Amino acid sequence: MKTLMTKINWFGLAGGITTIVLLVASFFYPWWQLTVGDDLLKANASPVNTNFGFLDTSFTIPFIWALNVVSLLTLLLSGIAMLVYSVMPTKSFSKPLLDFGYKKPLFTFLFFVIGLVVVTVILQAVLSINVPLMGSTTSTVPIPFSSGITVSVLLSAGFLWPFWLAAVAAGLCIAARLYHKKVAVAPSATTIK
Amino acid sequence: MDKIKLLLTLTTIAIVVIPIVGTLIAYQGNLLGLFIPPEVNEIADDLLSGGANGPGLEPPTMVGPPQYDEASQTVTLTFEYKNTFPFDITVNSMSGNIECDDHGFPLGDANLSKPVSIGAGETATLIVLGTWTEEAISHFQTAHAGEETADVSLVDLAVDIKGIKVQTNERIPISDVPVP
Repeated sequence: MKTLMTKINWFGLAGGITTIVLLVASFFYPWWQLTVGDDLLKANASPVNTNFGFLDTSFTIPFIWALNVVSLLTLLLSGIAMLVYSVMPTKSFSKPLLDFGYKKPLFTFLFFVIGLVVVTVILQAVLSINVPLMGSTTSTVPIPFSSGITVSVLLSAGFLWPFWLAAVAAGLCIAARLYHKKVAVAPSATTIK
Repeated sequence: MDKIKLLLTLTTIAIVVIPIVGTLIAYQGNLLGLFIPPEVNEIADDLLSGGANGPGLEPPTMVGPPQYDEASQTVTLTFEYKNTFPFDITVNSMSGNIECDDHGFPLGDANLSKPVSIGAGETATLIVLGTWTEEAISHFQTAHAGEETADVSLVDLAVDIKGIKVQTNERIPISDVPVP
C-alpha cells in the first residue's frame, strides 16, 4: 500500500484535478471582468470563455472564440494527461504525458495575462482609453463629430477567483514536474516484500 | 515512446491549428467580421446616433419659467430630457454652474433633485435646483437693482447617465429668473 502511495505523483494528481475543475469553472465564471458605467457594458474574459455584454445583448468576437476553443482543448488534454501520468508515473509513456501536460496550464495563464496587458496597452495607445487591469478609473472616451461634448466613463476591473485557481493549477503542474524525479526512481512493488 | 511523443506533438499542433484555421475559413469572405461582430456596429450606432429615436447625445431642454424660493435662496429649473437610446436609462446626477448672462458673474451651482429613470425613447422631466451664493445675492442687488428678472445661463453642465458622464461646454440659457 505504501509503495502504491509513493508511486502516485500527488502534485500531478492535484494539478490534473485542479486543471479540470478550472476548465469547468471557467465556463461559468470569468478570470477577469471589466464593467463600464453602471453595468452598461461588461467584458468577461477567460481563456475558455470570453464574452461581452451590453445591457441585454451578449456577444463574442469570432477570433477570440477560436482562441478560446484552443485553450479549452489545451487545458482539457493537459488535465487528462496529468491525471493519467500521476497514477502511473513510472510507465514508459508517463514521461511524455507529463512533458505534454505540465507546461500547458502555465502557458495558458501567461498568455492570458500577456493578452490582457497587450489589449489594454493597445486601447490606451490607439483610442486613449485607460482600461485598468485591477481597480477603478474614469476614462474619457473620444466621441467623433460631437464637438463640445466630453464623455467620461467609470471603468472597474478585477481578477476573479478562477484566475487565482489557474495560478494554483499551473503551480501544482510545475511542482509535479519537479516531484517526478522522486517518483520515477521509486522502487517497484515487486522488489519490496 | 517516440510514437507517443509524436502523437502528443501532433495533437498539440492540431488543437491549435484546427480551430483557428476553421474560423478563418468560415470568415474568409469577411475578415473584419473576425474581430468586429455585427453587434458591435449596432451598439456603436445606438450610442452615437441614438438609433431610431433621435439624434443621439443632446443636452436637456428647459421648459417653463424658473421658480424662485426666497427662504431657501434656491431657484427651481425644469428640464425635459428625451432618452434617444434604445434602452432604459437612469439619470443619476446632473450638475452645472449658473452664470449671469450680462456680467458673466458666477451665481451658484445647480444639481438634479433626485435620480430619474427614463424608458427607451421616452421623455422625462428633470427638476434641477440652483442655489444662489451670498455673492450672487449681492450681485443681483447691485448689478440688477430695480430689475424683476434677469437672464442667466447654465454652464459646465455634466450629466451622469448609467455611470457615463456627459459634459458639454454648451451654454443653456435660462431667461427671466426672478431677481431676489
